[in-house]
Amino acid sequence: MVKSVNTYLGKTAIWTGLGFGVVDNYEKMLKGVTGLQRIDIEGDGQHSRLERMMIRVIEEVKPGIDMTSERTAMLFSTTKGNIANLGIECPEEGSDVYLHKMASRVCKAVGFVGKPIVVSNACISGVVAVVLAQRLINAGRYDDIIVVGGDEMTEFTTSGFMAFKSVSEQPCRPYDAKRDGLSLGEAAGAVVVSNDRKKSHGIVVAGGSMSNDANHISGPSRTGEPLAEAIRQAMGEPGIANDDISFVNAHGTATVYNDEMESKAINLAGLQDKPLNSLKPYIGHTLGASGLVEIAIAAEELRHGMVIGTKGFETLGTPMPLNVSAENRSVTMKHCVKSASGFGGCNAAVVLSLEEYSKERAVPSMTDVKCLHRCTMKNGELSVDGELVVKSEADFGTFARDVYHRQDANMKFFKMTDMCKMGYLASNYVLKDVDYKPYDIAIVMSNKSSSLDADLTHWRIQKRDNQPASPAAFVYTLPNIVMGEIAIKNGIKGETTFLVTDSKNDETAKDYARLLLSEGRYKYVLTGWCELLEGNYELDIELLTTKFN
Amino acid sequence: MEELKTQLKQQIIDALNLEDITPADIDNEAPLFGDGLGLDSIDALEIILILESNYGIHIANAGEARPLFKSINTLADFVAANKK
Repeated sequence: MVKSVNTYLGKTAIWTGLGFGVVDNYEKMLKGVTGLQRIDIEGDGQHSRLERMMIRVIEEVKPGIDMTSERTAMLFSTTKGNIANLGIECPEEGSDVYLHKMASRVCKAVGFVGKPIVVSNACISGVVAVVLAQRLINAGRYDDIIVVGGDEMTEFTTSGFMAFKSVSEQPCRPYDAKRDGLSLGEAAGAVVVSNDRKKSHGIVVAGGSMSNDANHISGPSRTGEPLAEAIRQAMGEPGIANDDISFVNAHGTATVYNDEMESKAINLAGLQDKPLNSLKPYIGHTLGASGLVEIAIAAEELRHGMVIGTKGFETLGTPMPLNVSAENRSVTMKHCVKSASGFGGCNAAVVLSLEEYSKERAVPSMTDVKCLHRCTMKNGELSVDGELVVKSEADFGTFARDVYHRQDANMKFFKMTDMCKMGYLASNYVLKDVDYKPYDIAIVMSNKSSSLDADLTHWRIQKRDNQPASPAAFVYTLPNIVMGEIAIKNGIKGETTFLVTDSKNDETAKDYARLLLSEGRYKYVLTGWCELLEGNYELDIELLTTKFN
Repeated sequence: MEELKTQLKQQIIDALNLEDITPADIDNEAPLFGDGLGLDSIDALEIILILESNYGIHIANAGEARPLFKSINTLADFVAANKK
């Protein structure tokens, strides 16, 4: 007998520039209050400012969750974690700048005994974390997952976005003809995702999906097609028709290009008539927290039958029509779509349903997977399928150039960071002679130091060399960019998901890759370890497929 | 003017890590973006930074700057006319 379960959204808590609490935030948004300032909290001797924000929201949703059970997980979503503590020297092992270390510190503070899962996937991190939680619960790995997200407003990120000339001097105005950039914000959020109906607050996480543009590492797709595909897949899983979508809470950063791309995607998905809003004018772009915080508010909108107005919106300024309004709208609710897009070309969409309109989902049975190709790089040795292909005594740069000259010339290679070069070169070996369509492949990678190597470059330009922030350096300060480069080069449009962990032996990424294959989402998953920090590197990636392929 | 052009080429090569390329490889007339040198929107921002740091020229809107970056010739003309 095929078992089926529902995945419920339980307690939610958020802390934004508007204040603490989902209800408080929701009511202030309805009244048109803007909260783009920093949250009033400081670090104490024990925990950083961000950790304290996270601990506070977790404490709010934790009651009723067994923090000592192996059936409980904690899943973190953040882009930069404790980056405010970064200096110009490489932080030592054990420093709270490492994302997994930050997550462990927070887990300890809230009494969670297991090992945290950390997603760092640019601005879609929060949506990815909820989709991942839904999939892990649906597959029976856990009963309850506390998803927690957070990112701070720091000089590190602000200087980068300023260099990108994407920050507006006014509160941002998504989808408006006069929009001229985003507003940065900061937030922490926590939501419970559970298979236990008793923990439900009336909302089901019905489906979710991710995709990659395979177009550009910072600029969004020119067609919007990959985001549209993610939305279609998210709705297709639970079999929800366009007519039953009540509203869309989009990313809506108010940069010219993002909103343009979204308008195209929403039209391709056939949702252009649905009420659509962006919450960024109220709380700013809260980066790795944004997806999570906005899911919490979207759930509130579903429950109350209200679509919050998009403050500052006057005249539509997107190439394709959208149903945006500055006014709050009363809507009959069934399901809503929440979407996000980010650097590295990544897109994510999740569908939330009112419980009475939800359907249970079949639990997938796990299939065996096999490795088609494997590539390893370490200590000047590159091996493919167990055979030594390149051996070098030189430093990473020389070694990488040597490997590069054996492959196709692509001038973009020289602009990449070392971590991207490594993943890029290795993937060319692993994907060689494999026949696939764009949505046949997903990439799931993990490492230990996230993008710390690139973070140091971005920070040293400013703090050591006293130069202005470089946009080309800043764009690489996210670990998922390496997968973006691989996706562009190879035309891969499946999901590109990045996890940060303390050890190469952590099987979470591989287990997730196996789950993706078992569910039949992809024919192939490129997965493995991609770690590089200050010249020390280790890569071990595999192309996996099901035994039937 | 030729000196300025060579200088701009070298600054672009340095800022964008265009290994294997020398100023002599870049044609003054050839498009910098798209088919020519293959630069993209992030590179445009880096060129804006070069103009700010080395020539005191401030450009607020990256989109508006695009026509100026058509080729080394157009860029050099703009720098010569606006540098401080």
